[in-house]
Amino acid sequence: MRLQNLSIRRKLILITMLTSSMALLLSSASFLIYDLVSFRHLLTQDLTTQAEIIGYNSAAAMAFKDEPAATATLSALTVKGDIVAAVLYSPDGKMFAEYFRNAKTLPAFVPSRSQERGYRFEGRYLEVWHDVTLNGELLGTLFLQSDMRQWSTRAKRYASICFVFVLISGFFAFLVSSKLQKVISGPIMHLEDIMRTVSANKNYEVRAVKSYADEIGSLIDGFNTMLSDIQQRDTALRGANDELKTRTQELEGEISHRKQAQEDLLKAKHVAEEASRAKSTFLANMSHELRTPLNAIIGYSEMLEEEAQESATGESVQDLQKIKSAGKHLLALINDVLDLSKIEAGKMSLHLETFEVSGMIEEIVTTLEPAIKKNSNTLRVRLADDVGTMRADITKVRQILFNLLSNACKFTDHGTISVDVDQSTEEGLDWLRFRVTDTGIGISTKQRENLFQEFAQADTSIARKYGGTGLGLAITHRFVQLMKGRIGVESQLGEGSTFTVHVPAQVTLETVGPIQAEGNSEAFDAVSEIKIDRDTILVIDDDFAVRELMSRFLGKLGFNVLTVASGEEGLRLAKQVRPVLITLDVVMPTCDGWSVLSKLKADSELSKIPVIMVTIVDNEARGLALGASNYLIKPVDRERLAVLIEKHRITRVASITGTNAVPMSRRAHDPKHREVEAEVAERFNGENLTSRR
Amino acid sequence: MAKILLVEDNEMNRDMLSRRLERRGYSVVIAHDGEQGLLLACSEMPDLILMDISLPVMDGCEVTRRLKADKTTRHIPVIALTAHALVTDRVKALNAGCDDYDTKPVEFGRLSEKIHNWLLEKKAQ
Repeated sequence: MRLQNLSIRRKLILITMLTSSMALLLSSASFLIYDLVSFRHLLTQDLTTQAEIIGYNSAAAMAFKDEPAATATLSALTVKGDIVAAVLYSPDGKMFAEYFRNAKTLPAFVPSRSQERGYRFEGRYLEVWHDVTLNGELLGTLFLQSDMRQWSTRAKRYASICFVFVLISGFFAFLVSSKLQKVISGPIMHLEDIMRTVSANKNYEVRAVKSYADEIGSLIDGFNTMLSDIQQRDTALRGANDELKTRTQELEGEISHRKQAQEDLLKAKHVAEEASRAKSTFLANMSHELRTPLNAIIGYSEMLEEEAQESATGESVQDLQKIKSAGKHLLALINDVLDLSKIEAGKMSLHLETFEVSGMIEEIVTTLEPAIKKNSNTLRVRLADDVGTMRADITKVRQILFNLLSNACKFTDHGTISVDVDQSTEEGLDWLRFRVTDTGIGISTKQRENLFQEFAQADTSIARKYGGTGLGLAITHRFVQLMKGRIGVESQLGEGSTFTVHVPAQVTLETVGPIQAEGNSEAFDAVSEIKIDRDTILVIDDDFAVRELMSRFLGKLGFNVLTVASGEEGLRLAKQVRPVLITLDVVMPTCDGWSVLSKLKADSELSKIPVIMVTIVDNEARGLALGASNYLIKPVDRERLAVLIEKHRITRVASITGTNAVPMSRRAHDPKHREVEAEVAERFNGENLTSRR
Repeated sequence: MAKILLVEDNEMNRDMLSRRLERRGYSVVIAHDGEQGLLLACSEMPDLILMDISLPVMDGCEVTRRLKADKTTRHIPVIALTAHALVTDRVKALNAGCDDYDTKPVEFGRLSEKIHNWLLEKKAQ
């Protein structure tokens, strides 16, 4: 175990003991050294003194060259156990007399002649040289050698004492430090204990006990503060957790409650949808049931009217006309109610096509001619120069104008009715504005409030005087809304009214939005079957010049031409418009012709639309393999294109409707084409307005 | 004098339409249901057929389909008479092979114009 990893207690004891032992050792050593040094000095003095005494005693013997006497004097040193050797040298340096405690040591330690004066330490020995004089005359030199036996004995004894002393004091130091270390280690161990308890049990309520006001004391204070902080947070956290749990439970409750509500709503919705379907079916059936007897009433009264006119019974002609007009009024009512219920059920869909505004106005005017003449009114039509084509549901636009104009005719006598059409741009969108102005009876402010509400004719007396269902303006209003347009009215009672309708010049199905609701009921419109625009060709080409040329050329052939510059846009429009045919370029940025063709053919709704590739890329095999009907290489042979288009159109229309499509050249007098106008007339609220061109 | 076959189950409509057509100078053959209509179309070879779509025994669409499948009767124009509101009926009628349609209650002026046009067209062929 490394020293650093020892417990605090052991560390403290160890440190205390090491420190005290070191101090003790150092002080003992210094005393020892001091004592030994001074003792050696004492020994030196002592030996020097002895040398002086022996020198003095042996001076006479030296003077008289009495060697035995000198030897006897030296022999007196036997009592001095530490003197190893003593030698007297004659002035010429020769050994005169000597003494050795142990004869064996002689050759090694004793110099053969006198050399020096004073003392010196030679190894373990102290040597002293002393001149022997008598009355100032040098007689010889004395050499003493001591083995300092006393000194080493003393040193050994001192060292032993020191050792024992250190041992004893170490033991006491251990005892004391063992007791005293608790002052420091005790609180730390306590703190550690508490910490262990806290981390093991997560019990933040325990507190460490502070024993002293020292650093550890403040450490314990800090620890306790931290503990109480944690405890507070823990409590708060627990509280928050509990609250969260409660909230979660509440939320779960709320969710299940809402789910229940949602299910209830869904059920209610299904019930409502079912009811709506039932209503639609009921209306369709009812209208059929109502029409059958009406058919007979109108038919027989018309027939009788003809007969009466032939037999010239004037009175009954008028009565029969009244029966017939009442029947037609009833029919108009049924049609209007049906229209409204369709709008309300979200089943009224838009069939968009591009058409000439002027042509449409002309048709309406022709159809309305009898109504205009009826009250001896004059009609003025003003078309602004910039009004060209618009893209909208022509039937609905026609009916909007038809309703407004026939109302104007109805409520104006010997006056002027005018139609103004112009174009404007608002917020980046082109709008067409239709204004229908009359000089008729006008509408009061109060009457204007409910003008566009169902069954709200301006006045009940009006119904009696002028007829009408009171639904015309409501339907007009709904149709305008359906095309995301707006309608407004200005009027002065007795002076006339002006109805203004704004319709986007390019109505799109997106702008129609949720009104295009899904419908499962087949009672009304089979949208998917009749949606195909028989006269529209979609041209997909990124080259502006090609689009222009195709547009002009196909336009001359009598088609509506839609041109787009990109494959994506082409796909989108194809879905929306369902053109009778598509011409497609291959080399285009982003989405090339091949992928457009694949996507068209992969879409079950679009796969039947014939696609003629018109491109500079010579890869007919690939085009036909991907499902193209024909492959033309630019520059295009126009005659061939015309023949192909006509061929596809006939096959296509025939496959959609099951009829033999009438070739282009004969369409002008096609009875089917006039049916639309006649239908509008039939829906009109007034009488005798049916086109009989 | 053009011969028109009127297939209509409603007695009043049948009576009225036939009388008015006769007044316009057409000779009218009447059938009460689809099956009779089919038989009469084959035996009488009319110049034009007015076909109600909702008929007992065999509906107008089926009759038209059979007439259009037969070489001898294929050329006869068939005008379907359908309830005004039921666009699906119109589509059904056109899909079955009817050449044209008109809505009931019949607007006689319009219908007679249609008849006139179809007879002219037939003559032109």
